[in-house]
Amino acid sequence: MRFLVVMFKEIIDNLRDKQTVFYALLFGPVLMPLILGGSIIISLKQLSIDFDQVTPLAVVNAELAPNLMTFLHSNNIDVVEAPDEPEKAVRRGDSPVVLKVMPSFSDALRAGKPAPLTLFVSDADKKSTREARKVVALLNAYERTINALRMQHRGIDPNVFNSLDISREDVSRDGAGGQLLASLLPFLLIISMVMGGFYLAIDTTAGERERQSLEPLLSLPLNRRELVLGKFGATLCFVALSGILTSISVFFLFQFFPTDLIGGGLHFDAPTIFKSFLVASPLIAFIAAVLITVSAFTRSSKEAQTYLGVLMVIPMAPFFILQFVTIRSELAIMPIPMMSQYQLLERTVLGDPIPALYIILSAGGTFIATAFMLLVAIRLYSRDRILM
Amino acid sequence: MIRATQLKKSFAKPGSSKKNDKVLAVQEVSFTAEDGQVTGLLGPNGAGKSTTLRMLATLIKPDEGNAQIDGFDVQHNIQEVRKQLGFMPHNAGIYPRLSARENIHYYARLCGLKRSDARQRANELLQQLDMESFADRRSAGFSQGQRTKVALARALVHSPQTLMLDEPTNGLDVMATRGLRNIIRDLAKQGHCVLFSSHIMQEVSALCDHIAIISDGKIAMTDSLEGIKTKTGENDLEDAFVRAIGETP
Repeated sequence: MRFLVVMFKEIIDNLRDKQTVFYALLFGPVLMPLILGGSIIISLKQLSIDFDQVTPLAVVNAELAPNLMTFLHSNNIDVVEAPDEPEKAVRRGDSPVVLKVMPSFSDALRAGKPAPLTLFVSDADKKSTREARKVVALLNAYERTINALRMQHRGIDPNVFNSLDISREDVSRDGAGGQLLASLLPFLLIISMVMGGFYLAIDTTAGERERQSLEPLLSLPLNRRELVLGKFGATLCFVALSGILTSISVFFLFQFFPTDLIGGGLHFDAPTIFKSFLVASPLIAFIAAVLITVSAFTRSSKEAQTYLGVLMVIPMAPFFILQFVTIRSELAIMPIPMMSQYQLLERTVLGDPIPALYIILSAGGTFIATAFMLLVAIRLYSRDRILM
Repeated sequence: MIRATQLKKSFAKPGSSKKNDKVLAVQEVSFTAEDGQVTGLLGPNGAGKSTTLRMLATLIKPDEGNAQIDGFDVQHNIQEVRKQLGFMPHNAGIYPRLSARENIHYYARLCGLKRSDARQRANELLQQLDMESFADRRSAGFSQGQRTKVALARALVHSPQTLMLDEPTNGLDVMATRGLRNIIRDLAKQGHCVLFSSHIMQEVSALCDHIAIISDGKIAMTDSLEGIKTKTGENDLEDAFVRAIGETP
């Protein structure tokens, strides 16, 4: 049981290291979810238009189109006084958009001709384009009303011009934003688990070689297997801690997500997050084993950081692959660590049922890979070269 | 007691891609270090001192030859050898974020002592090596002398019969060196076998009962201080050393 002695020493030792603690307790669990989740919330809010929200709209010559103003007002638009130079005001961002009723508007309308309106928009400004989309949508609705009235006035059924009746239904339960959000949880969870053990793994293996504290350690009457297991155990604790904290912070983060933006199909309630953590838990051991083994290969902390930095791409790879590729044969990827957990986590968040076989394959494949990595690490520690 | 017989070790040449491109670090190293004596392994830099000690400490395997520590073979009874042996490498290699006491306590626990025994053993060593004034400070700011003491205490933690110190006085000031010499003499007096490597003549002549001169990976001469002086016909160890390794003083 001496590996426990090694494990507790490494944990205490590394809890005194600010960098390790920062990455294990703050970076993954707090900063990453805030940065990633926060930016997604903001961009979703910028994309979506809320027709129920009352918004002000600056209009030039509002008095020339009283009926249009009434229509806008009844559609939650507060018509306000326009600034003196509408173009500059929009460019500067003082008003998101400005609508100008052209002087010939009422004459054209009365004559049954297209009545001119100008909308000042700044396409460089997301808020401006979003407001413009809302205004244009309302103006189109107003146009349809007038069209119908004009035709009825001439004794034509307005439906004559509606030769197609297109109805579009989004059958994915979560919409475009939902897919991204569903992969956010596995992404955050896995990255922060890797970051949580990253510096501890380097410190206890490559760092120990670099400090030259490995040589006296290896001369002790102690099995090297216990040494590796102790270091693995310490890394595992940090990875697990980071994973647990991230699950908690993701849970709180999603309380701030407007449900209508997420889409009804996504679940971020406490039981789902807990289930997600359980599904991902075999990865804790796997990640710890990979970190320990790779840094045991290297001679210095710097070298270890380089190797692991490159390796960091691997946990991110499934995230990007699964963004672009829809995998049909899920069964085949279940034994692959990381890939399978990504899929299972997405399923969990989407509320899809997970077959027991998937869980067995995923956990089993991950444990076999972990055992293999650990054997490699033990072998590495048994060679003369570990001291060179 | 240490008995080394015809030890040989070569390493792959760093940076060379050829498999057989090897550097011969140690060849024909044979010597004996008795209990109750201080034995000095004296040699210039790169002579193979550290490689020899590493082979004796079971850290690397010799290519040829063999060695026994208190009767246990370094290749076949590894765990027994490690139990008999306290090894202090030339860099103290202590953990900077742990205090002196924690460093010693950790090694005591790794050697299989129970928690309370480990605590007691650490206290004994802190007292014995006069370390109480800095026992509970983190090692990061320690002087070289303090670091060496912590490393020595760790090497002694499992009360080994045989002690090997690789250039222990490196970087120590006069007082710290004298303090360390007294500790080493006391250990030998208590019946321990102490082997220590150095490239400093004064160090060896001041302390050692027995000397093995190593040069180019070979033992050039092994005898008592007086014996070496007689054999080489030189009165001064430095001249004797130069003659022993085949040069003219």
